[in-house]
Amino acid sequence: MITVKNISKIFYINKRQEGMLGAIRSMFFREYIEKIAVNDISFSISPGEIVGYIGPNGAGKSTTIKMLTGILVPTSGEIRVNGVIPYRERQKNARQIGVVFGQRTQLWGDLPTVDSFELLKQIYQIPEKKYRKNLETFTEILGLDEFLNTPVRQLSLGQRMRADIAASLLHDPAVLFLDEPTIGLDVVAKDRMRKFIREVNKERGVTVILTTHDMSDIEKLCKRMILIDKGKIMYDGELAKIKEVFGRDRILTIDFEGDVPFLEKGVQLIRSEGNRKWLKFNLEEISTAQLLAEIAKKNEIKDFIIQEPEIDYIIRKIYERGL
Amino acid sequence: MAGLCGKLRMYLEFSRISFQRAAAYRFEAWMRLFSNVVFLFMWGFIWYGLYMDRDSVSGVTFQSVFSYVLISQMLQGIHSAGTPLWEIQEKVRSGDIVTEIIRPYDYPTRLLFADLGSIAFYFLTAIFPLYSVIFLIFRPLIPTSPEQWFLFFLSVVLGYLIRYFIELTFGLFTFWLIETGGVEDIFYFAISLFSGATIPLWFFPGWLNTLARYLPFQGIYFVPNAIFVGELGGTELFSALTVQLFWVAVSFLILRFVWYKAGKKIVGQGG
Ligand SMILES: Nc1ncnc2c1ncn2[C@@H]1O[C@H](COP(=O)(O)OP(=O)(O)OP(=O)(O)O)[C@@H](O)[C@H]1O
Ligand SMILES: [Mg+2]
Repeated sequence: MITVKNISKIFYINKRQEGMLGAIRSMFFREYIEKIAVNDISFSISPGEIVGYIGPNGAGKSTTIKMLTGILVPTSGEIRVNGVIPYRERQKNARQIGVVFGQRTQLWGDLPTVDSFELLKQIYQIPEKKYRKNLETFTEILGLDEFLNTPVRQLSLGQRMRADIAASLLHDPAVLFLDEPTIGLDVVAKDRMRKFIREVNKERGVTVILTTHDMSDIEKLCKRMILIDKGKIMYDGELAKIKEVFGRDRILTIDFEGDVPFLEKGVQLIRSEGNRKWLKFNLEEISTAQLLAEIAKKNEIKDFIIQEPEIDYIIRKIYERGL
Repeated sequence: MAGLCGKLRMYLEFSRISFQRAAAYRFEAWMRLFSNVVFLFMWGFIWYGLYMDRDSVSGVTFQSVFSYVLISQMLQGIHSAGTPLWEIQEKVRSGDIVTEIIRPYDYPTRLLFADLGSIAFYFLTAIFPLYSVIFLIFRPLIPTSPEQWFLFFLSVVLGYLIRYFIELTFGLFTFWLIETGGVEDIFYFAISLFSGATIPLWFFPGWLNTLARYLPFQGIYFVPNAIFVGELGGTELFSALTVQLFWVAVSFLILRFVWYKAGKKIVGQGG
């Protein structure tokens, strides 16, 4: 479905020079800074997969998505989406893909939402029957009817995101690219979005590639994860395997009543701030309940939070010990 | 064939939406109309002053020049309702150009059709009613035969396309220089000097006149204006139309070439 072979993207950023002299200089000699956003990556994705594409800020996720959707021309390397070279046949590629950029809407701000959909019907030349059916389905699952007649500009972020993802699927694309589809959404909205993505993948067989900073998006949606950092792929494979290796680590943050020293076996104190302690432990060695019970025996616990490892943590770990 | 019809219907949909949207920006349209009329009277008075004690200048009567100014202001009003340069700059700077790139249509064509929609609205609701009144009051020279009307309309359309293609091309330079400034000034300077928008080319000194007549810009206003007031006829008229047609083709090819190149220069900011 999608094959990516050794693609790189280098941005040339104009170097600004200081002062008057610099300004005059730069009129004749342009100096560029090279920014390698994506560095020689390869992967392939089969029909019907949902792949999570994750990495820290500036890792090159959006740049990759922009190349796959035909917006950016790769500096080198080869891309095929359903046999189409995206940047060479932009319009043909556009017909077979759906795209959502969480950070910006692709709808027409001053048109009522439903008019944006109607316009997309014309743009993609969607047959009336198919359009009706899709719109009905999406309206039902995403609850679009509460704002169908509101101009897109006046929608809340969550509503806008729902409108955008519905819009991206009206023409029954084979592949769906989602760049941060859950950014800024609350827990309920995130959940709804995930359900929708899963359903679209299952019922319609749409191949999905999504980027996110939220590990739970990946956990709830993807079997496979591609992890990228500084433009390079750090890991590409089953999510389960990553979880096996690192996913058993937990961070326990505890607020103690009064300042009490403690020491538990297999627990690492990683940070301390007054009465608040950050403890790292591994589920293989001790269960959360056990640990809490042990601590509670000797200390008074005011409050606690248990966190799963975040992406940055996993990346750090991969650097440290590899996979 | 069916595909072509569908495509045309899609582009016309953009015209329809722009038409409706223009209604929402009525205030801006009235301001534009107001300044258009101010300029009309300004040029009218300037020419009136220059013609004070004379019947004709360079063999052209005041009546002709005044009619020229009238039709020129009217055409400029129409042109002012569709300005792709601003739209492209805005989209490139904000990064919204990305949205246009991932749609299965041709962006320049879509822009053209959208602007035709705003022009239709502005023409029907502002320019046409206002200029009907002005024409009835001032009784300028108008085409006297159906052929003259036809040639006038033909040259208006050709002139519009020339300006549109050139302006779009300049707009696309934003893909290379996010901050243009100087480049668009060249465009505005060339238009204001060589298009004959305010000063008919026949008042230009010999060499400048000759030069101007082979440039693309005179096709925008001078040729249709001159046909309208009857100062261009016979073989002169046909060579003017040929030069217009030539520039439509050339500016179109340049536009497509620059668009093709620009497609590789997209940096897609943001996200
Ligand atoms: N148009 C551009 N011009 C110059 N540099 C760019 C451009 N777009 C991205 N970059 C740089 O390329 C790198 C990768 O950016 P990209 O947007 O792909 O990151 P990302 O993984 O999507 O990050 P985030 O999670 O913050 O969205 C960054 O260092 C960014 O500064
Ligand atoms: Mg991004």
